[in-house]
Amino acid sequence: MFGKSAVQRLLLVAMALATVFLVDIDEARAEYGDVVINNYSDAAGMRPAIFPHWFHRVRFRCKVCHADLGFKFKAGGNEINMVKIIDGQFCGACHNGELAWSVENCNLCHSGKPGTPTQVHESTVQKLAPAALQKK
Amino acid sequence: MKLERIILACVSLAGFANTTLAADAGKDLYTKTCAVCHAAGIAGAPRYGNAAEWQPRIATGVARLYSNAIQGTSKGMPPKGGNAEASDGDIKAAVDYMLASVKGGAAKPAPAVAAAPAKPAAAAATAAPAAAPTAAVDPSSNTSGVPAADINSFNRLLRPIGKRNPPPVEDGIHDPANDGTLALMAPLAAYGPLPKSLAGNRVNWVKAIEENKINPRWDRNDQAATPVVIDLNIVREVKGSMPDVVYPHKQHTEWLDCSNCHPAIFVPQKGANAISMAAILLGEKCGVCHGKVAFPVSECRLCHSKKKDFRPAQAQAAAAPK
Repeated sequence: MFGKSAVQRLLLVAMALATVFLVDIDEARAEYGDVVINNYSDAAGMRPAIFPHWFHRVRFRCKVCHADLGFKFKAGGNEINMVKIIDGQFCGACHNGELAWSVENCNLCHSGKPGTPTQVHESTVQKLAPAALQKK
Repeated sequence: MKLERIILACVSLAGFANTTLAADAGKDLYTKTCAVCHAAGIAGAPRYGNAAEWQPRIATGVARLYSNAIQGTSKGMPPKGGNAEASDGDIKAAVDYMLASVKGGAAKPAPAVAAAPAKPAAAAATAAPAAAPTAAVDPSSNTSGVPAADINSFNRLLRPIGKRNPPPVEDGIHDPANDGTLALMAPLAAYGPLPKSLAGNRVNWVKAIEENKINPRWDRNDQAATPVVIDLNIVREVKGSMPDVVYPHKQHTEWLDCSNCHPAIFVPQKGANAISMAAILLGEKCGVCHGKVAFPVSECRLCHSKKKDFRPAQAQAAAAPK
């Protein structure tokens, strides 16, 4: 009797481990250009924010954000926080309830898996030199 | 009798605890060391979860597997996987951990379903019989995150078509437990009418604008604002036999403002910019965008597009218009 339950529990543990492992393997398959920004989110108990480049470039040319709004070409390099967004800077220039949905939709941006590092996912640097990426 | 049963219970529980601890150690070592080769099958290493590759090795006996893992083999397995600090016990635990991935029938297909929650139940049903080693060859295992079973399968290291442009819940960075994730658009829903390409988002964004499939705003408030397009090609001669690079301002100014690139990334002066593929691969120069959002460096010929003239100088002079 006990032997059987132990086997069952072992199986459960093995399944749980395998699940973790499979998720690990599959981690790097995000959409090309998706940026995870986790400067402050983890520490604040929020999910990291995810910026989908593809969705935005269908609607806006690069220049709108990277010249007019001053976004630097560097994941996590803009030190964006909610105060700045509510003041109309960075994401807040559009996500203000007029041009695009407003900041009360926390979960639409803060939708990343907790602990996901700040980086451009699927980027060449992420694949070739992850160590160099972390040093910066 | 009763006492006997209690003792038996204690022993089996203790045994269970030991096994779990060993399994943890095995998983740790696997993740740190073994996975370097045994995840992708580098140098012919049998892959984690791939029953077909493990079967002939298991047939030689587990003791043999242990000793090969500790002492290494002539086929490419380094002693202790190259991690000399690992104890023999840890190595054995790691071997057990990998063996557990191909044994124990039901343990395998279930996590595959857990890893891809959006997969239809029908697919889960076909994955369920994957208990037997033969079932690992089942093509449905391709969608489960387990590497394709056949070592000679076509393009085994490439991402299968079904796993490109995954919806947010399956993409590995979005939290499927977050209700907002479900409200997000899936890339493929937007890409339908757009021209295709072979890399990146697999969308040809430049062509999408040229063909008026999309008309992204140039000014966030003014829908009518249009970019100032500059039609100026810059040719950069490159070393070796690689075709020279033709940089078109036209396609870039459709998207970008001059200030995005000049002068911080590229000094607007001929010969003033040292560019190398190494720098680009590390995300500098062209690599600030290409390899992150714009088409990646795998598309060599999109930039290296001007063939060199390899004829002797005399022949070139003779052919030149007078």
